[in-house]
Formats: sequence, structure tokens, C-alpha cells
Amino acid sequence: MDLQYSEQDREFRAKARAWLSANVPAEARPAHGHASATFDRDWQRKLYDHGWAGVSWPKEFGGLGLSGLQQVLWYEELARARAPHYINTTYVAMMHAGPTLIARGTDEQKAFHLPRILSGESLWCQGFSEPNAGSDLASLKTRGVVDGDDIVVTGAKMWTTDAQHGDYQELLIRTDPDSQRHKGLTWVICDMKTPGIDIKPIRTMLGDEHINTVFYDEVRIPIANVVGEIGQGWSTALATLSFERGLGFIGDQLELYERVGRAVDLAGKLRFDDGTLAIDDSAIAQKLASLKSDAMAIRAMTLADIAETDRTGQPGPKGSMMKLLVTNTHKALSEVVGEMMGWDFLEFNGDRSAHPWTYDFLWSWIFSISGGTNEIQRENIADRVLSLPRAR
Amino acid sequence: MYLVPDDEELAIASAAAEYLADAMPIDRLHAANPADLKDDVRNALGDMGWYALALPEADGGSGLSAIEHALFFREVGRQCGPVEVMAQCLAAMTVADADLRAQITSGAVGVSLAIVDGDSLRLLGSPAARYALQVTRNEACLLDLQGAQVSAKSSLDLALSMAVVPAGCPVVATRAGDHVWMMGQLATAAQLVGISEASLEQIVEYAKVRETFGKKIGSWQAVRHPCADMAVRLEAARSQLWYAATAIKEGSLDAGVHLDAAKHQANVAALANTDSNIQLHGGIGVTDEHHAHLYMKHSLVLAKLFGGRREILARLLHAELED
Ligand SMILES: Cc1cc2nc3c(=O)[nH]c(=O)nc-3n(C[C@H](O)[C@H](O)[C@H](O)COP(=O)(O)OP(=O)(O)OC[C@H]3O[C@@H](n4cnc5c(N)ncnc54)[C@H](O)[C@@H]3O)c2cc1C
Repeated sequence: MDLQYSEQDREFRAKARAWLSANVPAEARPAHGHASATFDRDWQRKLYDHGWAGVSWPKEFGGLGLSGLQQVLWYEELARARAPHYINTTYVAMMHAGPTLIARGTDEQKAFHLPRILSGESLWCQGFSEPNAGSDLASLKTRGVVDGDDIVVTGAKMWTTDAQHGDYQELLIRTDPDSQRHKGLTWVICDMKTPGIDIKPIRTMLGDEHINTVFYDEVRIPIANVVGEIGQGWSTALATLSFERGLGFIGDQLELYERVGRAVDLAGKLRFDDGTLAIDDSAIAQKLASLKSDAMAIRAMTLADIAETDRTGQPGPKGSMMKLLVTNTHKALSEVVGEMMGWDFLEFNGDRSAHPWTYDFLWSWIFSISGGTNEIQRENIADRVLSLPRAR
Repeated sequence: MYLVPDDEELAIASAAAEYLADAMPIDRLHAANPADLKDDVRNALGDMGWYALALPEADGGSGLSAIEHALFFREVGRQCGPVEVMAQCLAAMTVADADLRAQITSGAVGVSLAIVDGDSLRLLGSPAARYALQVTRNEACLLDLQGAQVSAKSSLDLALSMAVVPAGCPVVATRAGDHVWMMGQLATAAQLVGISEASLEQIVEYAKVRETFGKKIGSWQAVRHPCADMAVRLEAARSQLWYAATAIKEGSLDAGVHLDAAKHQANVAALANTDSNIQLHGGIGVTDEHHAHLYMKHSLVLAKLFGGRREILARLLHAELED
């Protein structure tokens, strides 16, 4: 084992730090709507123009082809610089649509989409879940009928994040009407401007409208848009999910330490009604210190996972373990901060930048449900890490 | 940067695992008078050089690093090894006199661990030990117990004898600085990680064979999910242990901070995993003949050594990391 950074790693960190400190936008990201998507596109464009887009993407597809360790350095520097958060309207495009196309797409699909994704020109959304298919994704029903050169899609998707901003969608449909479960599914690229698509926002408890129900009424999608093969969509979908669950949350894992630091600073300033500083309250101080050790351990786990992946050549099943630990730690941190902020914590108008801690508190539930609930992550760990007898 | 044990490190760990499973298997704790390091085992471990693993070659040791030290003590933990294995090892790092050091590393004399407890010292380990090692963050001292007024106390942990002795035993060797403390803290964290692992393995094995309501209990989510939580806690504690061991080996300025985090994670993981292991075994989990309680009782002792919860958290709150 060793903790030494190579000369190249150190140079990379210094370069990233210098660039970020000169280029991170001074203004806060707008909380909602069209303005937020424009902000994200602009930031992505800036990364692209300066050669920082696609840290995990291979070089031949326009990415930086960074090693796992250098990706760690990049996300640490993003957190330190308080750069725009990478989980925004570009997330699906950058973190799973792009990687899925690289792994399974045709040459035409790659040539058309990858540069557009990298430059922020096209935003993507993920149309997997349905009203009756969330955890049990393989029970999805949205139907696709092959008709000439097209697949005609009818049905509904639910919880689609940023569908209203998406130019394209990762769409998972059932193309064989008699098929069961994970057989007979197909993964297609859906152009969100195609006639027959109707997007209805769902307001969340955060007070925002970033998730949607998407209805499809005889939407014609060219067969050329199929990724993988017709009927083999489950395998493509698993590839997509493995990107999401692998290092898809690496930034959150590494940012936690910074956030605990901010909470400790805050505790050094806030006073309770009786005049005591929050940090002098032993229960609060102990919780914060314990969360700090959790954040350190999460970073160590990330580094250990990267080392193992380097050795074995493929990502292990650690993603579920990290997602579970990170979401729980996030929630616990929000709760301590809520306790020390008192009434101020209850002031909220849906604006993330005006009320960051309250927003994060509400967000902690989203984090523990979307991308596979904490319960489903535990199921994955029981199956894939512990090899317990199958429940399903 | 490579944060999992490499092949050479793994070879040491598996040699230690094999040796200890034979020399001090956890099964011994179900026999009569199981506590402490017996003289013959103490000598045998000495002959094999295990106390001198991380001692410099110039001092008669193997010259290995904090990493091998941690890997060895993880295996000691899995067998609920006596606290003296650690005391013996740390005493060898404390003593400058070559003859006395050789007596300790060979296992010819026994060393127990001494902890300040009010006006007296609490001794952990065999009543036959000639010396006791007292370690603080600034200094390690070897005390001579010959002729001391030792009063035995009962011990919850079956792997251990406890006693108290009035303060003021003569000091025969000291070593200034925090090296011995850090190696002790690392060894205790490693033992707790070993216990967390063994507890998880034990319940996972059982969950694959025990049936209720016509199904293996490992297929019930009320069993699967706590097992998954055990695995996550273990993974966090183990990764942080690797980090801390490597930071010590490389002399990082913030090694102490990583070590505190490692000890805290190990404390939490061991206490929670030994608890779940008992619960998920059902009735058999609370029987004397089962290992589950041995892990729990031994964890309670180790969690207090070299940094208990309050002490570590107080330090961690404002601790700073390097870049
Ligand atoms: C804010 C947000 C954004 C999202 N964005 C997207 C998106 O962009 N694209 C997309 O496709 N999807 C998205 N999702 C959907 C998300 O993946 C699902 O909500 C999630 O997988 C859970 O499915 P469900 O809501 O149908 O809950 P259900 O599957 O109905 O689960 C209900 C409860 O039962 C538990 N449960 C279910 N099955 C099991 C089991 N076998 N064992 C134990 N417990 C179980 C669950 O953990 C949960 O607590 C988003 C969700 C949210 C909340």
C-alpha cells in the first residue's frame, strides 16, 4: 500500500486548482427552470473549451482519459473551489448516457452525440422508471412496436429528472409484448422534440419542479437509435446503472469532508438562546467529529475501491456500499446542522443558494431514493458482496 | 497511490492468519482458564518473530512497517488474541537495552498493559507478567511489577485477566514521543477490524444454513439488511485502517488524525457488528458455547484502549488534514 502521488498527479492537481480558481463562476447557479439549465450548459461549455470536459471519458472520444486517482483529485479540487455542482442538468449526459454510448453505441451514434454532450450542447434525461416500475424496473410496460424503420412508443415514464430541459433521453421500453421481466426490453435514444411527447412536471417537497411524468403517444423513434440490440435493452440498462452506481457519485463522496468542515465552522459561530456556542455543546461537537471521521473513511473507501479496480480491471460491487454510506452521512450531517441552526433552519423558499443547509436536508431523501433506494442498495450488497441466499 | 494490501503484504497476513488460528484459536476461550497469553504460546510467538515484526532490523526485528503490523493484529483480533500480544510487541519498541529487548521479543518474560485508573494502575494481562507497559501519547514506560501489591479483579472479557496495582512501580525503560502510542492505537484498531470481519463472516455463514418458515434466514430482508449494514461499516473501518497504517509508514504529518479516524471507525464497527451478530443468531447467539459473545466482550475492552470515543472525538473535531 502507498499514499504517494506521482509527479504527474501533483502537476495535474496544481493545474486543476489554478484553472478552477480563475474560472469558477462568481454568481450562484439559478435555483430553477430554464435559467438553471442555461447556467449548466455554459459551465459545461467552458470546461469543454478549456480542455476539462469528460474527466472519466476515454481520450479517443474527446475525454481526458484520467486514471481513477486523477478523477479523485479533480473532484476534490471542484469541491475545494466550490465549483458548480456536477449533479445538475448535465449529469445524465456526462455520467451515464455518454459512457453508455461509448460502451454500447454504434459509430454513428458516438460521432453524433458524444461531442454534443461534452460541449454542453445537448442535455439528456433518463427514462427508465415508470409509475409501477421503480425498484422493480424490469416490470416496466411502456410499449414499443416496430413499424418499418421506426419503433412506435406508447406509455408513460415517471420521475424523469430534467425532462423539460432534455434534448435526448435514455429510454427503456418493452418491444416484445409477450415478454416477461428483463427479456424483450430495448434501450433507445429518444429525441425529446419528437411529436407525441408530453411532459408534466411533478412538484417535489423541495418546492421545485425538476422531476416529471413523460407521456408517449405513438412516438416514432428510428430503429437506428437503438443502443445495443432490440430485445437486449436490459443488458444496456445494466451498463448504464453500473456507471451511475460505480463512480457516479464520486464527487459527493469527496465533497463530504468539505461540508463537514463548513458545518464545524458554522458551529463555531452560531449561539443558542442561552448564549452558548453550538460547538461548545458536547453532543453537537461529538456528532460533528464523528461525521468528520465518516467522511475520511468514505474517502479512504473510494481510494481503496479505485486501487482494487485498477488491479482487477473491472469495478467491484462497492458502489452500493458507498452510495449507502454517503446518503446516510449526508442525512446525519443535515440533521446536526438543523439542530444547531434552530428556527433559521425552518426558513425556506425553495432557493438552494439562499438556504443551502435546509435544501440539503430535503435533498438527502432524494439522494436515498433516486438511483436505487437505500433498501435496494442493501439488497445488492446482500447478493453481490455477501452472497446471501436470494430474496428475489 | 495504492490503498489495498499488495501481494507481499497479503502473504504476511495469510501466514499470520494460519499461525494464529493454530497457536491461539478462539476456541481456546471455551476451555477452562482461558484468559491471557500462556507461557508456552508466548514463547512460541516469540520464536516465530511475531513480536518483532515492525522492529528495525538493527534492533533485532524484521524491519517491516506499520502496514504489516496492522495486518498481523487484524488476525490477532479475529482470534480474540490476548492483550499481551500487543503489550509484548510495544514493549519491544520501548526498550533500548538490547538484552532486555531480546528477552521480550523472544517471549522469555511476559509484559502486561498498564492504564492509569484514578490513583492506581489497572493491569490487563497475565498475573505472571514480570513487566507492565504504560503508554501515553507522549511517552511509553516499562514498569517492573516484581514485589508489587497486585489485587486481582474479575473480568468480563474471557480473553483477559484484570488487576489493580498502586502507582509507583519502578520504571525500567522509557521511550519519549508518540511512536509507541501510534503503533498501539493502530494495533487496537486493527484487532477491532478483525473482530468486525469475523462477526460478519460468522453471521453470513449461519444465514446460509439456518432455516425458518421454510426458507434460509439469509433470504429474509430483516436479516439481509443488517448484514449489509455490517458489511458497509466494516468496509469503511477497514479502508480507513489501511489509510492510517500507510500514513504512519510514510511519516505523513497528519498520520495521527487518520489514526484517530481509524480507531473511531473501528470502535463503532466492532461494537455494532458484534451486537448484530448476537441478535441475528437468535437464541443460540446468547449461549456461552457460541463465539458471538466473546467478540462482543473483547471489543468492549479494545474500544477503550488507545483512544475511547470521547477522547478521540474531542481531538478530531478541530484536527486538520494535509493536502
Ligand atoms: C427526485 C427523483 C429523481 C429521479 N430521477 C429519475 C430519473 O431521472 N430517471 C428515472 O428513470 N428514474 C428516476 N427516479 C426514480 C427512482 O429511481 C425510483 O423512485 C426508485 O428506484 C424507487 O422506485 P419507486 O419510487 O417506484 O419506489 P418503489 O419501488 O415503489 O418502492 C417503495 C418502497 O419499497 C421499498 N422496496 C421496494 N422493493 C423492495 C425490495 N425488493 N426490498 C426492500 N425494499 C423494497 C423501496 O426501497 C421503497 O422504500 C427518480 C426518483 C426521484 C425521487
